[in-house]
Amino acid sequence: MTTATVSRHTRWAVPGIAAAVVVAGFAVQPLLASADAGDLPAISADQLLVEVLEAEPQPLSGTVVYTADLGLPDLSEITKAVSGPALTADPANLLAGTSTLRVWTDADARSRVTLQGTTSEFSVVHDRTQAWTYSSADGAVVHYALSETDQARVAQLQALVEAGAFTVPGGMPTPTTVADDLLAQVGEHSTLSLDANVKVAGRSAYQLVLTPTSTTTLVGRVTVAVDAQTRTPLQVAVWSRADTQSPALQVGFTDVRFAMPSEQVLTWSTPAGATVKEVTIPLPSDTELAGAEHAAPAVSVTGTGWDQVLTLTVPAGALDAQDLTALATAPGIMPEKAQEYAQIAQGPHGAAVDPSALLDQLSTPVAGGRVISSALLSVLLLDDGRVLLGAVPPATLVNLAG
Amino acid sequence: MSPAESVSSVRSEPEAQPESSIQPERWAPRRGATLRLIGAELRLVLGRRRNQVLIAGLGTMPLLIGLVLYFTSGGPHGDGGPGFIAQVTQNGLFLVVSALFICLPFLLPLTVAIASGDAVAGEASTGTLRYLLLLPVSRTRLLVAKALGALAFVAAAVAAIALVGLVAGAALFGLHDVVLLSGTTVPLSEGLVRVLGVVLYVGASMTGLVAVGLFFSTLTEVPVAAMAATVVTAIVSTVLDSLNALSAIHPYLLTHHWYDFAAFLRLEVDWTVVAQGLGVQAAWIAVFGSLAWSRFIQSSITS
Repeated sequence: MTTATVSRHTRWAVPGIAAAVVVAGFAVQPLLASADAGDLPAISADQLLVEVLEAEPQPLSGTVVYTADLGLPDLSEITKAVSGPALTADPANLLAGTSTLRVWTDADARSRVTLQGTTSEFSVVHDRTQAWTYSSADGAVVHYALSETDQARVAQLQALVEAGAFTVPGGMPTPTTVADDLLAQVGEHSTLSLDANVKVAGRSAYQLVLTPTSTTTLVGRVTVAVDAQTRTPLQVAVWSRADTQSPALQVGFTDVRFAMPSEQVLTWSTPAGATVKEVTIPLPSDTELAGAEHAAPAVSVTGTGWDQVLTLTVPAGALDAQDLTALATAPGIMPEKAQEYAQIAQGPHGAAVDPSALLDQLSTPVAGGRVISSALLSVLLLDDGRVLLGAVPPATLVNLAG
Repeated sequence: MSPAESVSSVRSEPEAQPESSIQPERWAPRRGATLRLIGAELRLVLGRRRNQVLIAGLGTMPLLIGLVLYFTSGGPHGDGGPGFIAQVTQNGLFLVVSALFICLPFLLPLTVAIASGDAVAGEASTGTLRYLLLLPVSRTRLLVAKALGALAFVAAAVAAIALVGLVAGAALFGLHDVVLLSGTTVPLSEGLVRVLGVVLYVGASMTGLVAVGLFFSTLTEVPVAAMAATVVTAIVSTVLDSLNALSAIHPYLLTHHWYDFAAFLRLEVDWTVVAQGLGVQAAWIAVFGSLAWSRFIQSSITS
């Protein structure tokens, strides 16, 4: 084989072929992944929903990709300013863009969820009545637990439940009655249908579509891909009415294994040298629970179904730079970050920023307040302290506010 | 072609067939000749004084980082950044990872560019390429030998960072059980295996850039031009990777998966992530390796 035997055409054909093979290889990958799942046993949409709800939770481990495309004004700049570059795993990044999470669960009482940064991780480990969060960026551990007396109460209640001490008046609801109730509720405001079967994370799945009957809501439809074998939802996508090309919110497995995760994954052990912050979660006492039922709700609901609008009342001036200042002085915050927050809170000239500086970027002014508009949700912040939010266009909120 | 006809001219031992004449146009490629060529290339690349200085320079990086952390550390997790840099003071093993992390954006691509950009263009500029082309090995094999030389140099550079990092880390901070990014503590032995995974992944991440550099090296007789073009390729790739508007092409960029070495520091190593990173490198090697080959076997390169 001498150089003379390789013609000019052959010579340049080789890189051409190599490039074609590479491009084809990358192009085929997603096609294979999302290929039509083909024939699955026929099932009705109603029946599928019932089976999803009745299905036993499965122990599983997998990778979840979450994508938010809410059409908010450039939020990434704000989250970057608050939480640093996206190189670090920070829950604040969930507000916009794409995040990758890994999930392990034993389908019962223990689970681990990690948010993956490029070279960092934010972990949440849940074990029955306790939970830990760990941020690899600063080595900070936060331990959430019940107080000892609450722990005893929970154990006591669990023992009572297991002993069958509780009886539900009128008999236990059977799965069928629950499903019927649910279907009736779903049917009241939405239509349920099935779309073409899909492949999610390499598994064949049915696609359940929930379409609001209301034409005034921002939500166009919700699609849920349901694993054909285990009836576990594998992917949920929420589509806005405005954009039919890509979902506004999508969360789904890109990789999933239905097997019991290893003990190491589900167990938390605090690493040596980590700073641990203990947080005790207060359970409301019986008297508080009784009182709560009579207390006037701070939240009122107007409208029905998809057009529901929540109205909250917050004290005037609560939306203040105080939030950021408080963040800066919160324990467990790295000094650099504290400084960062303080700077944001103080603004460029050292004067306390009016909150609207941050809000300005997100919202647009309307008569009597400001409105934040996204693909799925609108929020109206009124000067009198009322906050209205709902999956409806901003104009609806303004009309409601009167 | 019979063995008698294909006896190579570079054999050092005396040949029994004096009738085999040495005719450059009629030679046949011989495994022995190719192996010797590769050996000579490796000796040349690794024996060259300036290359040794470069590797030694890279080796001082972990030492420098280690000493700085040793004398300035104000306590655990005091200096922000990725967690493993803060962890160096508690576990010397993380000095290996931290040094690689710090060398990854610029120093390693620069080393790759120097090694691969010089491979062909360097010989061309000094006029030695024409003698190499007279050797009884095909140009394809000559290019492979050049590529192996560049790869060996890159491997030596990564290994130097890792070894000096390990030794300096052990001496300054000691080696202990490893706290993963997930907060789980694994025994030192498993930690060593995981860090070895990081080192191998970082080394493999450089192979795509080696192919790019080799291609540029076949285009010019000016080594500096090939080196600069290679560094610029890496920098442009990083810049494109940071533009959100181009997120559709991000997964295919040369540099996009470089930091995925972190996969080895997570609780369960996600092999899909590792395979993706290596797959993209393989794709760049396929395209730019074949481009370099097309260019190099062209008869116009004779100088």
